[in-house]
Amino acid sequence: MTAVDAPAVPGGTAAVSPRVPRGRDGLVAAAVLVVLAAAPLFLAPFATTTLARILVFALFAVSLDLLVGVTGLPSLGHAAYFGSGAYAAGWVSINVTAEAPVPLLVGAAVGAVAAALTGWITVRTGGVFFLMLTLAIGETVQQVANTWESVTGGANGLTGVPAVRAGGAPLANAGFVYWYVLAVFVLGFVLVWLVARSPFGAALRGIRDNEPRMRAIGYPTALYKYGVFVIAGGVAGVAGSLLVAQQRLVTPADLGFLTASLALLAVIIGGAGSLWGACLGAALVILIRDALGPGLGGHGTLLLGIVFVLVVYLLPRGAAGLRLRRRSPS
Amino acid sequence: MLVSVLNGFAIGFLLFILAVGLSIVFGMMDVLNLAHGALFLGGAYLGATFAGSWGGFLAALGLAAVGGLAAGALLSLMTEPLRRRSHLDQALLTLGVAFVVAELLIIAFGDDPLSVSAPPALDGSVSVLGATYPAYRLVLIGVGAVLALAVYLVVERTRVGALVRATVADREMVATLGIDNRLVKAAVFAVGSLLAATAGVLGGPIYGARPGLDATVLILALVVVVIGGLGSVRGALVGALVIGQVDTLGRVLLPELASFVLFAALALVLVLRPRGLFGSPASVSTR
Amino acid sequence: MAVHPTFDRRRFLGLLGAASALPVVAACGSSIGGSTGAPATGGGGGTVKVGLVVPQSGVYAALGTDMQRGWELWLADNGQRFGDYTVETVIADEGETPQTGVPAVQKVLQNGGVDVVVGLVNSATALGVRDLLTESKKLLVVTNAGAEAVTSTSRTPYIWRTSFTNGQVAAAMGTHLAQSGFSEGVYAIAPDYAAGTEVITAFTKAFESGGGRVVGSAKTPFGTTSDYQPFLTGIQSSGARAAFCFYSGAEAINFVKQYAQFGLASTIPLYGSGFLTEGNVLPQQGDAALGVQTTLHYTDQLDNPANKAFVQAYTAKYGEAPSCFSVQTWDAANVLDRALASATGLDGDSLATALGTVGAINDSPRGAWTFENQTPRQNIYLRRVDNSGGALVNAVVQDLGPQSQPAA
Repeated sequence: MTAVDAPAVPGGTAAVSPRVPRGRDGLVAAAVLVVLAAAPLFLAPFATTTLARILVFALFAVSLDLLVGVTGLPSLGHAAYFGSGAYAAGWVSINVTAEAPVPLLVGAAVGAVAAALTGWITVRTGGVFFLMLTLAIGETVQQVANTWESVTGGANGLTGVPAVRAGGAPLANAGFVYWYVLAVFVLGFVLVWLVARSPFGAALRGIRDNEPRMRAIGYPTALYKYGVFVIAGGVAGVAGSLLVAQQRLVTPADLGFLTASLALLAVIIGGAGSLWGACLGAALVILIRDALGPGLGGHGTLLLGIVFVLVVYLLPRGAAGLRLRRRSPS
Repeated sequence: MLVSVLNGFAIGFLLFILAVGLSIVFGMMDVLNLAHGALFLGGAYLGATFAGSWGGFLAALGLAAVGGLAAGALLSLMTEPLRRRSHLDQALLTLGVAFVVAELLIIAFGDDPLSVSAPPALDGSVSVLGATYPAYRLVLIGVGAVLALAVYLVVERTRVGALVRATVADREMVATLGIDNRLVKAAVFAVGSLLAATAGVLGGPIYGARPGLDATVLILALVVVVIGGLGSVRGALVGALVIGQVDTLGRVLLPELASFVLFAALALVLVLRPRGLFGSPASVSTR
Repeated sequence: MAVHPTFDRRRFLGLLGAASALPVVAACGSSIGGSTGAPATGGGGGTVKVGLVVPQSGVYAALGTDMQRGWELWLADNGQRFGDYTVETVIADEGETPQTGVPAVQKVLQNGGVDVVVGLVNSATALGVRDLLTESKKLLVVTNAGAEAVTSTSRTPYIWRTSFTNGQVAAAMGTHLAQSGFSEGVYAIAPDYAAGTEVITAFTKAFESGGGRVVGSAKTPFGTTSDYQPFLTGIQSSGARAAFCFYSGAEAINFVKQYAQFGLASTIPLYGSGFLTEGNVLPQQGDAALGVQTTLHYTDQLDNPANKAFVQAYTAKYGEAPSCFSVQTWDAANVLDRALASATGLDGDSLATALGTVGAINDSPRGAWTFENQTPRQNIYLRRVDNSGGALVNAVVQDLGPQSQPAA
């Protein structure tokens, strides 16, 4: 319920996870969950759809945060795995079955496999090299999506994806689709949260803060980075399968540079390393793009850029860092 | 075929002018300037607005130079409060700036793609190696080569250049000599931005000016510096010339794979030499 | 380390609060009913509510402006009415990709409560909203997106089109070139994406069935290619007698200029789909475009009374000449007016039935056309870029006669 960890103090060691009282934590989590679950009952369809889009993007951002915030690997190509999962889930829904959880599992598997195939190149590097390599991979995957028309539908996108079916019946309206998205989002979030809290996650934070030291004390850091890259790819693939369930369409734009950089913005705005923050950031990005942008003559990106610049200056740890800054200036 | 090689040089020198600032700023201060493409686009729009006569073209160059200097100094100033934070924060700040600048350019110049005319007399074509070739691109090769040589000599052979190289290698050491490396950084940032904006004007007659061009050239520039190795002028030059050829000759030889040759080349170099062709361990440590 | 545990949560909840205050999310109701449609704010009372979804931002913004003008001009000339109905237009920004286009359509349908959706430049968006419209049983009139699938493999009674299909325009050129002494060899080049493939396929099929031979073809990386020199070399060395291409926007400007700069224009005449020289790319291409010949279903130079009146009114109102995009959307209003004269209701089924009976549209600026499989069967014109009194125009060379959407 809280930030998974505190960001590292500059030049220092991995900070200890701030612990907060369990009870209050769980209470707030339950409250948020209840509000989210009840939303379709009192929101109009378009609002529900918007909220579903936010949840999809939030899970995608959370998977990216596992790389950026927890492991310190800034990726500008994470949309490649999000999109691969979306295409795979869409393809399976059209050609095999749309019965849950098949598209979901296929999306996860393809996202993870795509990450496994490309990850061995990327995790050998770090920092800005990692940023640029992932960018190059993202661009290449987008080109594949654009040109492999027999499978992806090319620039026209993969269309005609049937509604997800649960127990043999299609999820016909915005509310049911939303609940499906919410349920999977919660599962995905908990999975990432558990990974980040596990000893494996602690080792990842160690790598983020001082990789040579981790290597020196015997951790196979490259293997750890590879592992988290594949996990993040798999969760992004799950988010991709939600994207298809929600918008019933995948296009090359979904795995492009803009999608990837918006996800990175979401993670940073929320505060790298804080999974809740990533969700907040995702909500802000989607609201600005879809709800405010059209009212600004299409200049939502301008507002997003300004918000982003301000966050980098004023909230060094993103939205989630606010509380930390009050007590422990560093 | 030979024309394609020639054209590869035109594109290559243009890419060098674009990318060298990006490379040195990163090498010196570990700041990856993701707003670099927006500076290029700003220059291209200046070209689209003023070019058409020699006076207009030179005015656009002048404005781009001044604007680039100012923008670079401003960017340097903007990243200054973040100097104690991670390099990622600084790169991300420039990503936000890139978004803002790109939108401001759309507001100022509209959504329509614009073309940029070459100056009179260079607008036509000449016969080279038995093929028709745009005169402007020939001149661009010459201008680009001269600029590249000038940058190379300044960095590698002058006292100022020595200071820059020393700052790349060990900025604390330079600081202990009583030199304010914030000034060095601001100067390099400004000159690098000047070159990027100038490249926008010079590249205008080839690339035009349109929304989205900033991202396209930013990615090209990143590929160039990654292939060449960050922080190295020689690397940026070789990287730019290699990508120039890949982008022209590569597409002639492998038309079926035209969409992929650029990133295939990048992947190949990085698999073989993860730090780029001229990347030195000193300038690129694992961060 | 003591921390304040509620700060980010409060922010999170605050954000949710802020979200619900946004106009977009403000409408109350439930998403769990049987119908996904919004409450019928439009519909009865003699008002028809139309969602005009056109790009107001991104690379297609200029097209969106032309489309909106075409729509508004028709309404202004006809008292803002379709027959007995007063027209209320809700405009939404399609943006550049389906990522923005699909939510925009969703928004006008679910939040704006519109009866009819008009617009859409991007084919991916038009295909992507298919299920949305089918399930909410609302009518969509596509006024640009040219993908074949919209009215072939993905056809639904709820989506009609007043523009063109990519193949329709290209096939006419294929047939023409085969009959014009170029049958020995033409080179075909287009961007490497779905529309490019459709154009090359339809062109090649028509050209070859007319006895022509395609001596080479290339697909250029889509959206990122600015320098065409490597591909121009390929055209030169192919021995082609003519080149056929499909580009629009910035790519059209760069391709046409470089085609001239590298000396191809004087030796290998350039032909293309009409978007190559349509609208505001033409002045940017300048003299490099002179002599380029294209096929399209419209040019503002058409010599018929309906077009003369249209061009005059349009130019007087907006200060620039109309494009095919203006006419396509003007015609959408035109056919909706006819449909509403006989429609029994504003639901998609009634409107679709009514559109099926409108017959020949004989007062369109593009010349008379009819719906065939929900997309126009219309005359395609061969046009050449000429200098007319200091301005570049697409002059009519020949009327290639009525053309259908090519068979798949």
